[in-house]
Amino acid sequence: MSAVSAALRQRAGGLFWFWSVGAFRRSLPVLFLAGLAAFILGPLLSLILWAFAGRWFYPALLPQEFSLKWWDVVFGNRSVVSSIKYSLMTAPTVTLLSALICLPAAYAFARFQFPGRRFLLLSFLSANSFPKIGLYISIATLFYRLHLMTTFWGVVLIQLMGTLLFMIWIPTGTFRGINRSLEEAARDVGASSARTFFQITLPIAMPGLLVAGLFAFLAAFDEAQGTLIVGSPNYITMPVMMYTLVLNYPQPVGAVFSILLTVPSLVLLLLAQRLLRQGYLAAGYTL
Amino acid sequence: MTGLALVLPPFFLLVFFILVPAAEAVLDTLRVERGGQIVYSLVRYAEMLRTVSLRRSVVFTILVTLASVGVTFALAYALALYLRFSKGWVSTLLGALFIIPLFIPTVIASFAMVTFLEHHGYVATLLHTIGVEDTPSLVFNATGIVLTEVWASIPFATLVLLAGLQGIDDALIDSARDVGAGALRTFLAVVLPLNTVATVITMSLLFIGILGSFTIPYLVGGNAPQMMSVVMTNYFTNYLRPDISVALAALSFVIAALAGAAYVGGVSHRERGAV
Amino acid sequence: MRNCFRIPKRTTAFLAVVVVSVLGLYGIPARGQMAGVTLYISGDTNIQEMFDKDLLPLFERETSVKTKMVFLEHGQGAESILAKIIAAKRTGQQTDVDLYETQPTFIAQGSSEGIWTRITKDNMANAAKVDPNRPEVLVSNGFGIPYRGSSVVLAYNSKYVKTPPRTYDEILAWIKQNPGKFTYCDPQTCGSGAAFLYVALYKYGKAEDFSGLTYDQARESAWEPALQLLRSLKSNIYNNGFYPNGNVAVLQLLGRENIYMAPVWSDQGMSYLDQGLLPKDIKLVQVSPPFTGGDSAIAIPVHAEHQASGLMFLNWLLTSKAQTIVVNKLAGYPGIDWKYMPKDVRDKFAGIAQNFSPLPNAKYQADAKRLWQEKVAGSGQ
Repeated sequence: MSAVSAALRQRAGGLFWFWSVGAFRRSLPVLFLAGLAAFILGPLLSLILWAFAGRWFYPALLPQEFSLKWWDVVFGNRSVVSSIKYSLMTAPTVTLLSALICLPAAYAFARFQFPGRRFLLLSFLSANSFPKIGLYISIATLFYRLHLMTTFWGVVLIQLMGTLLFMIWIPTGTFRGINRSLEEAARDVGASSARTFFQITLPIAMPGLLVAGLFAFLAAFDEAQGTLIVGSPNYITMPVMMYTLVLNYPQPVGAVFSILLTVPSLVLLLLAQRLLRQGYLAAGYTL
Repeated sequence: MTGLALVLPPFFLLVFFILVPAAEAVLDTLRVERGGQIVYSLVRYAEMLRTVSLRRSVVFTILVTLASVGVTFALAYALALYLRFSKGWVSTLLGALFIIPLFIPTVIASFAMVTFLEHHGYVATLLHTIGVEDTPSLVFNATGIVLTEVWASIPFATLVLLAGLQGIDDALIDSARDVGAGALRTFLAVVLPLNTVATVITMSLLFIGILGSFTIPYLVGGNAPQMMSVVMTNYFTNYLRPDISVALAALSFVIAALAGAAYVGGVSHRERGAV
Repeated sequence: MRNCFRIPKRTTAFLAVVVVSVLGLYGIPARGQMAGVTLYISGDTNIQEMFDKDLLPLFERETSVKTKMVFLEHGQGAESILAKIIAAKRTGQQTDVDLYETQPTFIAQGSSEGIWTRITKDNMANAAKVDPNRPEVLVSNGFGIPYRGSSVVLAYNSKYVKTPPRTYDEILAWIKQNPGKFTYCDPQTCGSGAAFLYVALYKYGKAEDFSGLTYDQARESAWEPALQLLRSLKSNIYNNGFYPNGNVAVLQLLGRENIYMAPVWSDQGMSYLDQGLLPKDIKLVQVSPPFTGGDSAIAIPVHAEHQASGLMFLNWLLTSKAQTIVVNKLAGYPGIDWKYMPKDVRDKFAGIAQNFSPLPNAKYQADAKRLWQEKVAGSGQ
């Protein structure tokens, strides 16, 4: 492993030569990038092949027999549809709620001085770094007391915990990166604070906030352990489904499930691609 | 004080739903019944550290995490540099490609990795056609965990690093090259220092994320040694020892907190530099 | 800066409007219709299908009580459901778990918290038909009721294995002669691997010492040679000592002819053969001493929201009609005594699956799995 990573590091250093002229130097990054592309796409391609494989035994490069029979098996399962529905309900709600609660805090972290600022900022790290298994019984007890067990809002709340970090840290960096003199200049020409925020600060911050929202969404979308405790039996979301089903079926069925359950994320991916290509991200991350 | 008021709502959520339950759970690990009385003691932690397989798991977890962070960082930095300084269709294509894993749920990513890397999996099949026989399984061991963690982490790391690089003024790089600095020297003397904050964020968040990940090591890891998150689950479900499980969780939290401190240190260092 | 305080409020109002309208679009469902009975079932796919396609529709038709099933992949998520039931008890509330099928060890784990209903013929007539000495009942401290049973058997590929082992010792000998062609799944992730471990332990310590209700950690010293033995096998196990996660992973290795022999659950092996997921050359046999059997039981929380419906469902599940479906679907054995089963079913199945060794009790199982992890898998090379 270390030999591989050393080699990769070496290549990474060498990569920087791409902006010197020279055909040889230019071919190195091409090799590296092709390898990286294969590494990223390979597992997904293998998954797609498995989903359409009727019979596939080593060492054939492609399945000996293509078939749609595994898709029938999956479509026979009605809970797949409802799990997609619940995931699409909870994750956006969590993201919006998280933005509502966290963005003012992020703005404060970036713009104000107050006692315990650094400690408070650090404390949000604990939301993602205390292993959930240690919290199972305590959290379930708490949710029962609050009558949140098996409710929609209970699921939203448990997923919200995993988004706090992204929704505070990323926007804090974004707000901090905005030059105060812009805001001050606007106020100098008579704009109110609110007008300044909405017309100057917010538009500049928006890409960073969208990225934070994206990460929060994905964190909520991917949460399985807490959702299973709080949500079952009424709210079985996609990742919970996947845990209970993907591992338990023959490989082709798992592959079909995986492809179906990736579709909602892929739609999001297409939207996010545009956001990234337009260079918003750069402004959002300028720290 | 306005600032404090704005920060309190999410902080209360955190205290109420994470910190208090965590503190309760950890306090429980310290309570021991002795002769009908409840006393506080560290016996469970002593037992945990005495158990060879647990010690090995802690070391293994840290090594796997560091290796994953290192490989991810190297690959992501190279990719970010390319995307930042190169235009053209290759760059556009890669810019679309590297982001994909971010959107693939980890269960599916792990499952896909298994079909790709297992004994007689797709990589082995490809190698077989070019004459390499008997490729060993690349999953169900440390290699499998590292590769899958790297796969899943590349988008995040690249995004953060790329954003940092976008903030570097081209003029600075041009002037460094004008005074005769080579590419490597320009990188080490100009780009790397200017990108410190992105580096710190990437490293610390990757470390914490990979350290605590459960799905990937559970699905693509081997039998032994196992990552701490998997061991915790085993102690909780299979060995009927939730107390040791929580003790391990506390230890894992302490290790993660060190990385968190590095983050805050890095960010405040920049602040001082900026003033 | 002072005035800035107002801004987030505006944002708040704006976002609140967005939230409300978005929620309006989705339409928040009510708290779920009042299902008659909510079942939490764990097991593999064949169990899920049996409930989904056969048992639940029939029960709903016959009783017009609605059912709702949450299916948990073997082991995964089961601990959080247990945590949930315990938490409900501690806070004095009802739980939505009306009926919980899980490993008997989990039921035992909850019994000290007093979360399970003691099921006898007084609150459920068909309890009288269940043998109180069944391993599932014993392991779960008497709170679990078995409704299905299967045992672990040896699967081998007859294309490569011409003379299959008939005893456990012959399996051990075969493994050493055919390195890399045998594995058993990690005992913490599956019952078939655990069975392989328990029978090794029984080689050196009597089964009766560990299957009763008593627990004495000192007795576990008898296991040492068994653990040494399993460790010595490690280099001859598939892929230099790889123990896959879960029963299904082992079946896949058999299916792809990566290995030629492994312990598997009889019901799963049969259903994989039926579906063509295993080559026809795979045969299933029981060896002597037999592998352990029975890794599943049903318990009903004392604070279940619909406890009466739960008991009613369980009672129905133990009728000879429902049990016949179970036995036919799973090719296993029933939860009730064979003597209560129709004669034709008895004749068809009684011979195959009755032969199994008892399970160790919950605490011994937990320790055995931990020791296996420490001394066999985690022993280094």
